[in-house]
Amino acid sequence: MKRLVHRLGWPGTIALAIILLFVLVAILAPWIAPYPTQGAGAPNVAAKLSQPSANYWLGTDHLGRDILSRIIYGTRISLTNGVLIVAFSLLIGLPVGLAAGYFGGWVDEALMRGTDVFLAFPALLLAVLMAAALGPGFLNSIIAVAVTWWPWYARLARAEVLVLRGQPYVEAARLAGVSHQRIIIRHILPATGRPLTVQAALDVGPALLTAAALSFLGLGVLPPTADWGQMVDAGRKFFPARWWYSAMPGMTIFIIALAFSVLGDALRERKGGPARDAA
Amino acid sequence: MNRRNFLKTAALAALATAATSRLNFAMAQGTGSIFTLAYPTSFPDLDPATSFSNDGAVLANVYESLTRYIPATEQAEAKIEPLLASAWEVSTDGKTWTFTLRDGVKFHDGTPLTSEAVKGSIERTKKIGGGASFIWGPVTSIETPEPLKVVFVLSEPQPLDLIASAGFAAWIYAPSSHDKDSAWFNAGNDAGTGAFKISRYEPGQRAVLDRAEGYWGKVPEGAFQTVSFEIVEDTTLAQNMIESGQADWTYSLPYENLEALKSNPDLNVVVNPSFETLFGLFNVKRAPLDKIKVRQALSLAFPYDDVIAAGTSGFGTRAKGVVPAGIWGHDAEAPIPKTDLEAAKALLAEEGIQPGLELVMTYSSAQALEAVAGELWKANLETLGITLTLQPMAWEAQWQLGKSNPEAAQDIFVMFWWPTFVTPYDYLFNLFHSEEKPNFNLGYYSNPEVDAKIDEAAKLSGTNRARAEALFIEAQRKVIEDAAAVFMLDQPNVHIIRTDIKGYTDNPAYGHVTLVNELSR
Repeated sequence: MKRLVHRLGWPGTIALAIILLFVLVAILAPWIAPYPTQGAGAPNVAAKLSQPSANYWLGTDHLGRDILSRIIYGTRISLTNGVLIVAFSLLIGLPVGLAAGYFGGWVDEALMRGTDVFLAFPALLLAVLMAAALGPGFLNSIIAVAVTWWPWYARLARAEVLVLRGQPYVEAARLAGVSHQRIIIRHILPATGRPLTVQAALDVGPALLTAAALSFLGLGVLPPTADWGQMVDAGRKFFPARWWYSAMPGMTIFIIALAFSVLGDALRERKGGPARDAA
Repeated sequence: MNRRNFLKTAALAALATAATSRLNFAMAQGTGSIFTLAYPTSFPDLDPATSFSNDGAVLANVYESLTRYIPATEQAEAKIEPLLASAWEVSTDGKTWTFTLRDGVKFHDGTPLTSEAVKGSIERTKKIGGGASFIWGPVTSIETPEPLKVVFVLSEPQPLDLIASAGFAAWIYAPSSHDKDSAWFNAGNDAGTGAFKISRYEPGQRAVLDRAEGYWGKVPEGAFQTVSFEIVEDTTLAQNMIESGQADWTYSLPYENLEALKSNPDLNVVVNPSFETLFGLFNVKRAPLDKIKVRQALSLAFPYDDVIAAGTSGFGTRAKGVVPAGIWGHDAEAPIPKTDLEAAKALLAEEGIQPGLELVMTYSSAQALEAVAGELWKANLETLGITLTLQPMAWEAQWQLGKSNPEAAQDIFVMFWWPTFVTPYDYLFNLFHSEEKPNFNLGYYSNPEVDAKIDEAAKLSGTNRARAEALFIEAQRKVIEDAAAVFMLDQPNVHIIRTDIKGYTDNPAYGHVTLVNELSR
């Protein structure tokens, strides 16, 4: 614990704890939600739009469902969203960046100009276009955001590789006749790990926000699956008289996005540990 | 740079509170002889030939048509009132209509209303061919034997008195404007005969009307001199304005807030049926919905009362089949199903439907009420072992999918329907008459018996309305018997008006139109 606080600082540790708490909530949703069936979508019309009370800690929505349970169930969607978007982006961006940086020349040109095409569009606009073209749905919204996100990873990875390529140990490996594949995987990839982890941690928050924005626009998961962005949108027309409907999921998005952002910063500035050879 | 943009957008989404257009009501006032309407949408087109949207609220105070439709109430039957026409008659074959025009009516430019002006207006409207101009489709020629007599010759029998009362494309405007283009009208010019003329128009902000000199109609004592349409998209702000007296009239506030508004002595919450009705059209071309019993079971599983309670705070009403109350051809005794899950289960068992059936319902992502209906229906169907997938779509996309290929399209198509002019034909023909290529019959229902009744009724509706009405009702009963659709609810029309305003009535034939001439404070 002390070691962790030393390396991440207090804010980073708290942020990490909050994130872990959300992960736990997501895993345990059916057991800890006060009204699991409502969390999963079953209506409860008799209690619609009740204000926060002992029965419904955070109030109920327009179909009478407990907002706390909905938020708890929504954690599954939102966290998975954030993590999967970053994972997909890494999956596309990293190989492109590695190849472009390592081989240079026409490979670099071709890959980077392709990347530029995606960067030329405003990111959210492209995501909305993609989501509209693919149709609403959980996986579609993830793909839509990842498509706009990967070029940043490609650029970052390429920049790292350009530096590493000239390092004596890489030169040595190449002279020793090690194959390109092996050099990239064994000698370069591990060294790009740290900047990319920092970037990824910083990005989960914004990724989650973008996914929330998409489902706010009606392009995310299908009802009645709980999703924070969709809850904010649905509650908007009852604001401010029934503030809890939009405000509660809105606060939740705020907290988790902030936590990821703080953790990312903490990772970047983390003390101790070697600088580049994190692996 | 990308991250900042994301954060900005997402913060907007996350906080997503209302309060945007507070700058909007700089000139809103609620006193004196100004009548102020807080209107939730803008007015995209002020050309009386092509307007087919919320602009009708403004234009109906500026222009007039030959006739006006007065819907049925509990005390009185529906009727068609003289407006610019003082009388009319129809030939026995229903194809020649003669309208006598009111004497002494003047356009805002001072020229008198003549049969030539009527002919010129309708011909311009037809020629541009936008908006609702299709209502004049059956008219083959217009003759002007006398200055105050105009004769319409039709290609087939049609109820022209009804058509002439339409809320759009039926307006008569001055000859001096017949060679003008839409841009001239949209610059805030007008050429009507109505009680008001447009004096200021700021697109997206407001339209201000002033009383026209020498209006032919009756003007009540203490009538308003000025009408101000303030465009207020934010419902919270609109509610603020009506509560504080900055506005005299508004609509589209959330149903959930209406109870509180009702107890406010300064406000009158006027609830009427609208002519908007919500349907779920079953895809009868696709198994297992090609079987009547399965469709009946789904109709029995629909939570009618819950949707009205949850979706409209109890203000909506049960849809009695196809044609809503207030329109002739409405069937008050229609044999509509009640929610009955046991009966639904039995019907499914008869057809041998196993649990695990999956159905897709498409609806417009802009319609919150459709989502509520879907979610509650889904919960009921789950108890029967049917999974209903709710697929919200942009309306255009939903419609395209519906029109494409019935085999590959949705199982249930949910939409609102309202008529262009008040006739049961509009509902029955568009939604349930056989179509070679799907247009609005998006359940692909086809029944020669129903087709014949609809066609026959259409022919008779100009000459023998009683018989036509009976046929329309027979057609509706057949549609209900075949469970071609689930008739979800009739949307209420709720308008909020300050209690010190006298003379207010709402006419659902003209959606969200307030005829300010009849009002006083």
